Amino acid sequence: MDGEPPTLRSRRTLSLRFNLPISRTHAFWDALGEGRFVTSRCRDCGWVGFPPQADCPSCMGGSVEWVALGTDAELITYTQVRVTPTSFVESDPYIVGIGRLERGVKVLAWVEGATLDGLSPGAKVRLEARRDPSGAPYYAFVPVT
Amino acid sequence: MRGVAIVGIGHSRFGRRTDATLGELAFESIREAVQDAGVERKEIESVTLGSAGGWYEESLPAVIVNEYAGLEKVGAMRVEAACASGSAAVRATYLSVASGEAEVALAVGLEKMTEVDTLTSVELMGRAGSYLWEFENFGMTFPAYYALYAVAHMKRFGTTEEDLARVAVKAHHYASMNPLAQFQKEITVEKAMASQVVSWPLKLYDACPITDGSAAVVLASEEAARRLSDTPVWVKGIGVSSDSANLSRRDDYVGLPATVDASRRAHARAGTAPGEMDVATCHDCFTIAEIMAYEDLGFCAKGEGARLLREGETEIGGRIPVNVDGGLKAKGHPVGATGVSMMVEVTKQLRGDAGRRQVPIRRGKGLVHNVGGTGHYCYVTVLSRDP
Repeated sequence: MDGEPPTLRSRRTLSLRFNLPISRTHAFWDALGEGRFVTSRCRDCGWVGFPPQADCPSCMGGSVEWVALGTDAELITYTQVRVTPTSFVESDPYIVGIGRLERGVKVLAWVEGATLDGLSPGAKVRLEARRDPSGAPYYAFVPVT
Repeated sequence: MRGVAIVGIGHSRFGRRTDATLGELAFESIREAVQDAGVERKEIESVTLGSAGGWYEESLPAVIVNEYAGLEKVGAMRVEAACASGSAAVRATYLSVASGEAEVALAVGLEKMTEVDTLTSVELMGRAGSYLWEFENFGMTFPAYYALYAVAHMKRFGTTEEDLARVAVKAHHYASMNPLAQFQKEITVEKAMASQVVSWPLKLYDACPITDGSAAVVLASEEAARRLSDTPVWVKGIGVSSDSANLSRRDDYVGLPATVDASRRAHARAGTAPGEMDVATCHDCFTIAEIMAYEDLGFCAKGEGARLLREGETEIGGRIPVNVDGGLKAKGHPVGATGVSMMVEVTKQLRGDAGRRQVPIRRGKGLVHNVGGTGHYCYVTVLSRDP
């Protein structure tokens, strides 16, 4: 393509890799590592939500307890990501959905073991604990047949 | 609070602008806005830059821009509200003038997104949510967030992929009449439908491009505006709202509550109603976003957005012409510049200076709808020819 103006390519590379604090929500990650799902519930007002948080966004209370999240869910909406970001460039296209669990709490996660043709809003799915190839825990929905 | 008017507008060419540095690109619109206003730079008391940043090399873009444009000893800051950073800059400038702090002040919107490669831009936009819960494990992208809304809207209201394509066709049609737009060619529904799937069901032609560009507006107090301009366009009301970072915390996925709230607040301040607008710019970062905006802004009932589009009511000559500058979809979406670009377009329309794209002006009022992220932020601004 002609007409592309000259640019100076910088010689300095900036690579950012973050250390994310999880000390106040470690109960979630600990349980996930054991294949269980928990989230935070406010001891003062009873607010339950996801993602879990150490302080209550409803009443500003600072005391939460950990309760089972449940795993049966209804798929509310979903998409399949075909053009993936740089850090997922090795991944095949993946389906991401939002599922509503029994308590009414919603979770965003990959939908694994499914095809686009086999899904529709309202489909029954189940939340499962997974580990990626590096051993890091994550979670995904799978279709319930 | 006193009256505030837009008295000067400037707009760079949008597109892949590898010819210009951040300062050079901003200067294109700043010079035009300052000349259009007929102000001396020493009269400008503050410069607020709307820019999301992250994809260009500078950490302090506001001072880079001001140095290049010779704007010295001015109040300065960069503001961020994702894709609504431009409107946020206009609002900060408006408040400064309305409060009596400044007589004349400048708002600039600026983004350079092509200094990094395309997939890095995709990555930076995908992180525009709640990082750990949406991106780290699940690789969300900006098209993916809006695709979640598209699927839910299609299921609930029967909106089709062809309806989405029609938004793109309209956008490209008007962009072909706007020399500053990134895309200059018309497209067809068939071409849009056949384009690459980016995040199902959204395709390449459902998505705004990655764009470099700048836009600028000079705001003045009532007294200064009378002195400087024969055609002031008054900022009658700005409404702002926001929503959860995590999409999973939203009640449903068929509209943006932040738009509904911001719109209600803007009209309450302006003393106007949605049906009184002669023209609107709506935040069509994706085609589904424009259809949801019609509904959330009250141009039609919930679920009727696709019908409003099909019936031609959002074209020039229709009930409420929307995005007749090409919109984000085809004019381009340099994130932080977009809100200011929208102000420039509605000001041009209300002045009667939009040339081939001019809409009929009956009540002299127009609306700017600027969303940040996936309805994370929303700014709605009502502009008027009457003070």
